[in-house]
Amino acid sequence: MTGAIAVALAVARKDLRSEWRTREVVPALAQFVVLALVIANFGFQIDSRNAAAIAPGVLWLALVFAGLVAFGRAFAAEREQASLEAMLMTPAPPAAIFAGKALAAGLLLVVCEAVLLPALALFFGAPLSLPVVAAVLLATIGMAALGCLFAAMVARMRARELLLPLLTLPLWIPIIVAGGQAVQAAMGSGGGYGSALGLLVDFDILFVVLTSLAARFVLDD
Amino acid sequence: MTEAGARAGRFTGYEKAAAAAVVLMLAAAGAIFGFAPADALQGPVQRIFYLHVSSAIAAYGCFAVVLLGGAIYLRTESAAADRWARAAALVGLVFTTVTLVMGMLWAKPIWGTFWTWDARLTSTLVLWIIYAGYLLVRRLAEPGRQAARFAAVVGIFGFIDVPVVHFSVTWWRTQHPGPVIVNGALPPEMLATFFFTMACTLVLAAVMIAIRYRIEAVTDGSQPAAVAPAPVVSAPDPGPSGVR
Repeated sequence: MTGAIAVALAVARKDLRSEWRTREVVPALAQFVVLALVIANFGFQIDSRNAAAIAPGVLWLALVFAGLVAFGRAFAAEREQASLEAMLMTPAPPAAIFAGKALAAGLLLVVCEAVLLPALALFFGAPLSLPVVAAVLLATIGMAALGCLFAAMVARMRARELLLPLLTLPLWIPIIVAGGQAVQAAMGSGGGYGSALGLLVDFDILFVVLTSLAARFVLDD
Repeated sequence: MTEAGARAGRFTGYEKAAAAAVVLMLAAAGAIFGFAPADALQGPVQRIFYLHVSSAIAAYGCFAVVLLGGAIYLRTESAAADRWARAAALVGLVFTTVTLVMGMLWAKPIWGTFWTWDARLTSTLVLWIIYAGYLLVRRLAEPGRQAARFAAVVGIFGFIDVPVVHFSVTWWRTQHPGPVIVNGALPPEMLATFFFTMACTLVLAAVMIAIRYRIEAVTDGSQPAAVAPAPVVSAPDPGPSGVR
């Protein structure tokens, strides 16, 4: 068990180091979420009266699509170098390798959230509070688990850019329902923050357990 | 003797089953329009209910087969289990489409709108999207082991996700009529019509899955395309009608 954790951490460290050296994903993602806010402005005709009401929806739209980009990239380098096969040939358990990849991709999304949430506070006047951050971070766990599982799957298929959102978005819906409710409550419209947060924790546990069971079938060939 | 001649007067089991399913569905239509009484409040529109709910149940049954087939495939790598899953996914998607379309036809006169973001409607739409994705995975993955494995994973996640979507949405908004079958809200004629329609629809679904299974098996090359080639015919027929 400690061996598996060491493998996961090593894989995550490798991915983060590679990202640190190339700076490929994070700057692009940061730019992407700011662009999403600009597009939302034109799509919703935002003014000072409706900004706060629209902000939670814009947050989730930007986050979900940023997540798709981040997780889609998670296996891109491995595919280009055919290095995933090399990693799978080692005695390391596939679930641990998968956990490491998901951990690194999830952390990249957290960095992107560190841009998104202040930008939302700045441009939309949406209060940036601890409850909002907690809900977004909890949602990131489940999103990273599911997103990386299907990113690993489509990395070996044709039309992968097309297929990743089609497979991932419907399975993310429970997380977005609970997360959306939690952020709305935290930003002052509607109640039920506590129950929504509890639901997010439940979904995180469910999806982390399920994806770690399924990882073997997706990675191992 | 030509192939058509060899088959004249005798039908394959698949053809008989398909014909039986069609007859049963016609009988169900007769019961829906001839036997069941008109609803006091909703009028004739309520007759949509029988097929709408039946095809929803048939779709759930199909997706349960997808789940089972996928789970068995991941354990045993049985090609037959994968074929059952493949066949049931397609049929389940057809029945989900029927459920959605008939529901919308009912909703327009009763609710005044084709669509509302209700728990049942939303989760059924998500169900449709998930299994459309399942079929896309089947098409885009490398045929064989990879397609079977990936699809099995999608099928398992899809089946678990739908109740999760349903219950997560239902805590905040719902408008769809509640269960009327189990709480005894229906008069006996309506109940009888419903159970008859449901039985006929389930037979139709089973026949469709069986036929689809056979198509998949032929496509895979594990079963010969011709049904029981008659071994008694020894002389080759040079006639133009003897084209195989």
